[in-house]
Amino acid sequence: MDHVPSDLLLMLLADARLPVAGHTQSAGLEGAVQHGLTGADVPLYISARLATTVRVEAGTAVVALHHLTHALPLEPVVAAWAARTPSHALRRASRMQGRALSRLTTRLWPDEEPVRRVSGLDGCPRAVALAGAAAAAGLEAVALARLVGYDDVQTVASASLKLLPLDPAETTAWVHGALPAVAGAAAALAGLTDPRDIPATAAPQTEVWAQAHAHSTRRLFSA
Amino acid sequence: MPDLSPTRGLRLGVCGPVGTGKSSLIALLCRELAGRMSLAVVTNDIYTDEDARFLRASGVLAPERIRAVETGACPHTAIRDDITANLLTVEELEEEFAPDLVLIESGGDNLTATFSPALVDTQVFVLDIAGGGDVARKGGPGIERADLLVINKTDLAPHVGVDRDRMVADAEAARDGRTVIPLSRTDLDSVAALTAWVTAEVVRHRAGDLVPTDPGPMAAHTHGHTHDHDHDHPAA
Repeated sequence: MDHVPSDLLLMLLADARLPVAGHTQSAGLEGAVQHGLTGADVPLYISARLATTVRVEAGTAVVALHHLTHALPLEPVVAAWAARTPSHALRRASRMQGRALSRLTTRLWPDEEPVRRVSGLDGCPRAVALAGAAAAAGLEAVALARLVGYDDVQTVASASLKLLPLDPAETTAWVHGALPAVAGAAAALAGLTDPRDIPATAAPQTEVWAQAHAHSTRRLFSA
Repeated sequence: MPDLSPTRGLRLGVCGPVGTGKSSLIALLCRELAGRMSLAVVTNDIYTDEDARFLRASGVLAPERIRAVETGACPHTAIRDDITANLLTVEELEEEFAPDLVLIESGGDNLTATFSPALVDTQVFVLDIAGGGDVARKGGPGIERADLLVINKTDLAPHVGVDRDRMVADAEAARDGRTVIPLSRTDLDSVAALTAWVTAEVVRHRAGDLVPTDPGPMAAHTHGHTHDHDHDHPAA
């Protein structure tokens, strides 16, 4: 295949139309709304995730990318991620998304070793599957970290249109407003290589909401 | 890439508007077929889990063989555009139980929602008598071109003022010869006709003779229509 500029591949991976069941995810927003979060709180919720959960996810992705490109084992990365994601419901949702992503990347890059390694991993979380895609696409660590942060913000914003409907220009303004924080988090995490250095910044309240959400009977979103 | 190999079981989609009896039809099929073949069910709910819980509660199938897929309030997307969540769940059930038949229930949507042929091998569109006699005549991709159209709850016809035979005739005309089954749980002949159709699809799939076809996203329509009468088009 001819060389494809990495920014085009980044667009592909960041596109909401990527068939990885993104419409089933709310980045925890539904669980938060069930417990009283209002539309006015959503920008704060986005910031809180960027300071907590997203750092775990982006840190995991960046370290997994390093391990994939340096022939290091992925198991310690997955174990570090799991230790920093106490909620069983969130781990399960992430693994389901990892499978969805692996299904796609296996189709896009069948001959790429990182994709093969990731798809062979039992219970591969989303962050690690995304690292496989990034390795195959030739993305830099900082671009991968930005992708994780951007996707999280967009997931919250688009789920809010279903749960707390308002003018979509407003939710897009939230995303736009969060971009400096996404860039800042990505810059801070891009240099990580050791699973022990992945931030342990899970948000206990988000985890509790996620656990309760997984057992609620009338939910629209998987997590 | 869709797995078209007949070594796996048949994937049968059941779609149609809200309240037409999709869950009941699946429960009925489970009751009638469970003794003859290995079954599994995937439900797609608007409010997730509701239909799965209905089926588990009805006791027609072991609970672990019934799985719910969340649709993020996008039931149409989940069966048509991004079928990933459904495919993963179907593949999971196939790996665990090797069923002869997986029934996939769409979230109740509108007349335009049909399954992607990459998700199901064959599909049933369900209408009900109580929805009104003119629905079949209005058409749409599922009504006109799903592999089977079921007109459900025919026993209600006298109570809702619908001419059952006329609705069936309208459906048959709209479908250009494709199968229509008027169904009532209390009419055992109609139940037998439904199970015979499903069994025949399983047999066709096993023989490798079943090619999934797309009912299409749009209703059939024509361009450049001709008039055999005069009328005035008002100036725009």
